[in-house]
Amino acid sequence: MARKLIFNIFRYNPQDPHSVPHTDTFDLEETESMTLFIALTQLREEKDSSLQFDFCCRAGICGACAMMINGRPGLACHTLIKNLPDEITLMPLPIFKLIGDLSVDTGTWFRAMHEKVESWVHTSKSFDPQAEEERMDNALAEEIYELERCIECGCCVAGCGTANMRQDFVGAVAMNRIARFIMDPRDQRTEKEYFEVIGTDEGIFGCMGLLGCEDVCPKHLPLQDQLGILRRKMGWSAVKQLFRRS
Amino acid sequence: MAVNTTTYVRSSSRTSAYLDWLQMLTGAALILFMWSHMILVASVILGAGVMNALAGFLEETYMAQVGGPIIGCIFLFHFILAARKVPFRAEQQSTIWKLSRQLRHTDTYLWLVQATTAMIILIMGSIHMWTVLTDLPITAAKSAARIQGGFWFVFYLILLPLVELHVGIGFYRIAVKWGFARRKDRKKFKKLENYLTAIFIAIGLIALLRFLLLK
Amino acid sequence: METLFTDVLCIGAGLAGERVAVEAASAGFSTICLSIVPPRRSHSSAAQGGMQAALGHCAMGEGDCPDVHFEDTVKGSDWGADQEVVRLFVERAPEAVREMAFWGIPWNRVVPGRSAYFKGGKEFEKVEATEKEGLITARSFGGTAKWRTCYTSDGTGHTLLYTMDNKVVELGVTVHDRVEAIALIHDGETCTGVVARCLKTGKLRVYLAKATLIATGGYGRIYRETTNAVINDGGGAIIALDTGVVPLGNPEAIQFHPTGIVPTNILVTEGCRGDGGTLLDVNENRFMHEYEPEKAELASRDVVSRWMTHHIRQGLGVKSPYGDHLWLDIRHLGEHHIKTKLREVEEICNNFLGVDPITQLIPVRPAQHYTMAGVRTNKDGAAYGLKGLFSAGEAACWDMHGLNRLGGNSLAETIVAGKIVGEKIVEFLHGYEVQYNTGVIRDAVIRQQERIDGLISGKDGNENVYEIRNAMQNELMDRVGIFRNGSDLQKAVDNLQEIYARAQQVGLRSNGIGVNPELTLALKIQGMVKLALCTACGALQRTESRGCHAREDYEARNDRDWWNRTLATWKEGDDLPTLNYEPATETVELPPAERGYGVCKIISCDGEIIGEE
Ligand SMILES: Cc1cc2nc3c(=O)[nH]c(=O)nc-3n(C[C@H](O)[C@H](O)[C@H](O)COP(=O)(O)OP(=O)(O)OC[C@H]3O[C@@H](n4cnc5c(N)ncnc54)[C@H](O)[C@@H]3O)c2cc1C
Ligand code: HEM
Ligand code: HEM
Ligand code: SF4
Ligand code: F3S
Ligand code: FES
Repeated sequence: MARKLIFNIFRYNPQDPHSVPHTDTFDLEETESMTLFIALTQLREEKDSSLQFDFCCRAGICGACAMMINGRPGLACHTLIKNLPDEITLMPLPIFKLIGDLSVDTGTWFRAMHEKVESWVHTSKSFDPQAEEERMDNALAEEIYELERCIECGCCVAGCGTANMRQDFVGAVAMNRIARFIMDPRDQRTEKEYFEVIGTDEGIFGCMGLLGCEDVCPKHLPLQDQLGILRRKMGWSAVKQLFRRS
Repeated sequence: MAVNTTTYVRSSSRTSAYLDWLQMLTGAALILFMWSHMILVASVILGAGVMNALAGFLEETYMAQVGGPIIGCIFLFHFILAARKVPFRAEQQSTIWKLSRQLRHTDTYLWLVQATTAMIILIMGSIHMWTVLTDLPITAAKSAARIQGGFWFVFYLILLPLVELHVGIGFYRIAVKWGFARRKDRKKFKKLENYLTAIFIAIGLIALLRFLLLK
Repeated sequence: METLFTDVLCIGAGLAGERVAVEAASAGFSTICLSIVPPRRSHSSAAQGGMQAALGHCAMGEGDCPDVHFEDTVKGSDWGADQEVVRLFVERAPEAVREMAFWGIPWNRVVPGRSAYFKGGKEFEKVEATEKEGLITARSFGGTAKWRTCYTSDGTGHTLLYTMDNKVVELGVTVHDRVEAIALIHDGETCTGVVARCLKTGKLRVYLAKATLIATGGYGRIYRETTNAVINDGGGAIIALDTGVVPLGNPEAIQFHPTGIVPTNILVTEGCRGDGGTLLDVNENRFMHEYEPEKAELASRDVVSRWMTHHIRQGLGVKSPYGDHLWLDIRHLGEHHIKTKLREVEEICNNFLGVDPITQLIPVRPAQHYTMAGVRTNKDGAAYGLKGLFSAGEAACWDMHGLNRLGGNSLAETIVAGKIVGEKIVEFLHGYEVQYNTGVIRDAVIRQQERIDGLISGKDGNENVYEIRNAMQNELMDRVGIFRNGSDLQKAVDNLQEIYARAQQVGLRSNGIGVNPELTLALKIQGMVKLALCTACGALQRTESRGCHAREDYEARNDRDWWNRTLATWKEGDDLPTLNYEPATETVELPPAERGYGVCKIISCDGEIIGEE
């Protein structure tokens, strides 16, 4: 027998002066292989066509559909209904600016993050179209890719107690990004330059090791390990600078 | 709903790094102290003589007279450092409580335990240190007298689990934050943390009972 | 009305749009990118398999060069491509891959020594040269003579897009995400920007630009079963078609990918077969080698999709509640390979199917995948019909893919074309001035505002926009799919015309305030049905089989009558597109011949019939 599902969905349309934040309840019959993507789409097309939420790739690779699913941040498109209880509560991600209902503005946040950590290869060389590419060890390429797999869904930020308490905390996603560039020999930034970006209380030293990030990341990025490595690296960097001064 | 769309660029400074070091180091120092402290206190299990001998040794080497206040200072210093992280604003308080309830996430929850126990430890620990250090030398008999009075027995019964929880979690947290515990070791470390906490509480309780029954 | 001015306006912040933006910004022109989603969520990020460029570093790519790439691409296109453009493309692809490496892509590299690889389910051995160690390596893809597809695991599109967007941030290019262009501003001769709707507030906004670029990607969402993202619903093609003067090239050229998973149609990359995966039928027997002895699973996509459909029609498909499907088998590649080189595939199978590809078979069947169709441009990326309008990427018909695109050629196109078109726009802008005509701008805005008001008030009717979309998708899926024939196509055109009439009577159910998703679709639905009609009409007219366009009633490729490109425009007030034709290519480096795979039945240019049994 198909289950009868109950959806409690946060509703608020900031553009509508008559709208106030509240929860709407919908019911829906479960179908085989149903995901939250299928369920929400069905709700919008059949029950309330003003329901706002974001999907793009619907394949777990673009990061558009993160939301609080029964209290935890996750990707709605790859959440199978059969793994959820009969009653499902959906809320927008905290921290990010609300656009309406389940939809939040991750774009602005992430652009600011990219600018803050200067998320690009810094090099003094210039590209020579005629030359053969610089060589790289395949194992290193794979290690970099491992960190590059982040899809910027924002789950790790939403699931981080520190980020929830402190608006200026950059979150694990930014730290992971920096770790990726530190690993990349093409980026010529020095340890000191990296330190300036991330060796602060908004950065690695603000992280309290809550590991919400590690546990909610839908792509299973090795955040715990990278944060540990980064803290040690930045910690030593500060100590070294202390001795260089004196 | 709080809104943040900018991250702030700070002028370069290494203060955060040093403070974090110190927080970790004072924490670690306190852990080591608490373990040594447990040896002292638990030695009573073996007999009043053993404890007296240990205490006498500390006394003669001036470790109690000098070390005591130093520990007191580290204790306060650690508090000041760690307090930077504790949400004192009501809004932050409610955010973090709400979040950890929603998340059903142990590590976030453990941090709350750590922050809450810390506040109580601050008060009770200070009172306790004041009491002991203003009444040197330490002897098993004096301790037993205090505890048999009843008030201190209840006092320690509360303080002991709080301290051990705080220490256990602090230990795990240092391991995780500084990358000693890697992803694959996390489960092991967590188990270790639980065992440590349980064992120390058990030893502490036995010691307390021993004091209670000491003639 | 909020109005913004810029030199270059890129509609779309996928790989193509951003590559153009990088070029324009580097030359010092002010540049704004618009995107429906934050740039990194653009569908380019979903590309898994890789990007073709003839580097020839890996053992199986030895001897590769642009000439071989050229030949593969023209054959792949079934001679529908513009050969001058293909030449331009293949010559510059290696440089594009290297430039991306320079900007930070962690391309997989050559590991010297012996290693095993699979082909057709059998294991072989290759030896990578020591002197090539650390150079960019490549994998095999369908329809290529050499291993030429450069990759980063199976997240190539993702790494490319992230690196490109890093570049965009570095250069300080303005990106307005959650802004959707809904109409071009033009006077019938010159394009001067767009009217856009902000998807954060629902308000209209005007962007005025000297050069406007359409880089909105593909529009697979006019089909029911597609591997495309939900935002790939044709915004760019629609606003071009709406001008009445800009034509779509080859609207009938729609590619189906052999391996969409059942039931969600999420793509599993061609890399699966490239790396040695096989297709199995209900009896778990391989079958592709029986139809295509030479290339087997690695024939071009159109060919494999057709044989799969054919095989299912023979009753050899696997029955399921979602219809018949076949199996993709990658178990023999082994856990290590799957966990390092096919990670996304592993995740997708586990998350969406509950299938572990290391030990289990993956249910697959062909699904709509790519629109070779698009805004027709010349080799500089300048759109036909309007000055100041350009197009690049999947949205464009540049036209290097003809009637069938090769896997891995599309990522390469976005970046190579992005660079070339970017350079051409920079050239165009030097000394170019426009006069913004306030009357034209005002009319354009009023027109859009009236549409919105009309939809909200329901003055034209109360048709349900979702029902109309579903009807359109079903029509294309069922009658304008992998195999096509005259009577079905005629029926599709008739039904779509009826659907088009209904699309003009849409009224909203909800209040339409703010970022209303129903309104967003309603604003597009007429345009989507127009695109569907272009596709169906183009397919009906083209009485031959070429590339992805397979007519059961005209099985031969007819070079005598149809070696050309369809150009579809839509005149204001019409309810059908106007179709014109131009030669497929002015330059002929490689005259039409057999492809070497697929059914070979050709009516040659001088009317000779080849391959008739
Ligand atoms: C699942 C999948 C896998 C693929 N794998 C490969 C592969 O392995 N190799 C390969 O070569 N190719 C592959 N392709 C094809 C390739 O990824 C795409 O053709 C290519 O990435 C398209 O890039 P683009 O920049 O043209 O468009 P997109 O990346 O789709 O970007 C379109 C942009 O336009 C914006 N936009 C759209 N409409 C509007 C509007 N109205 N107003 C404002 N902005 C708008 C969008 O927000 C987006 O930013 C794959 C495609 C799919 C679907
Ligand atoms: C230098 C400082 C300290 C000294 C000299 C000291 C000494 C002692 C002594 C002598 C006892 C036995 C009971 C008694 O005499 O009342 C005791 C017990 C105890 N102390 Fe301390 N202490 C110090 C610091 C601390 C601190 C900082 C804490 C934690 C915050 C702490 C927690 C406890 C607890 C929980 C007990 C009860 C032990 C049990 O379970 O048996 N002490 N301490
Ligand atoms: C005055 C009372 C105390 C307060 C207010 C306090 C507070 C805190 C807080 C809030 C933290 C978390 C900091 C973070 O995660 O970054 C912390 C960490 C820690 N505390 Fe305490 N604490 C107190 C006493 C103690 C005592 C007595 C000990 C040991 C016996 C101790 C050991 C630790 C350890 C080991 C850590 C982990 C350090 C780290 O994460 O870097 N604390 N403390
Ligand atoms: S690190 Fe993980 S959770 Fe965080 S943004 Fe990236 S993919 Fe999402
Ligand atoms: S949850 Fe937050 S506190 Fe650190 S470990 Fe992760 S960033
Ligand atoms: S829609 Fe792309 S990750 Fe969910």
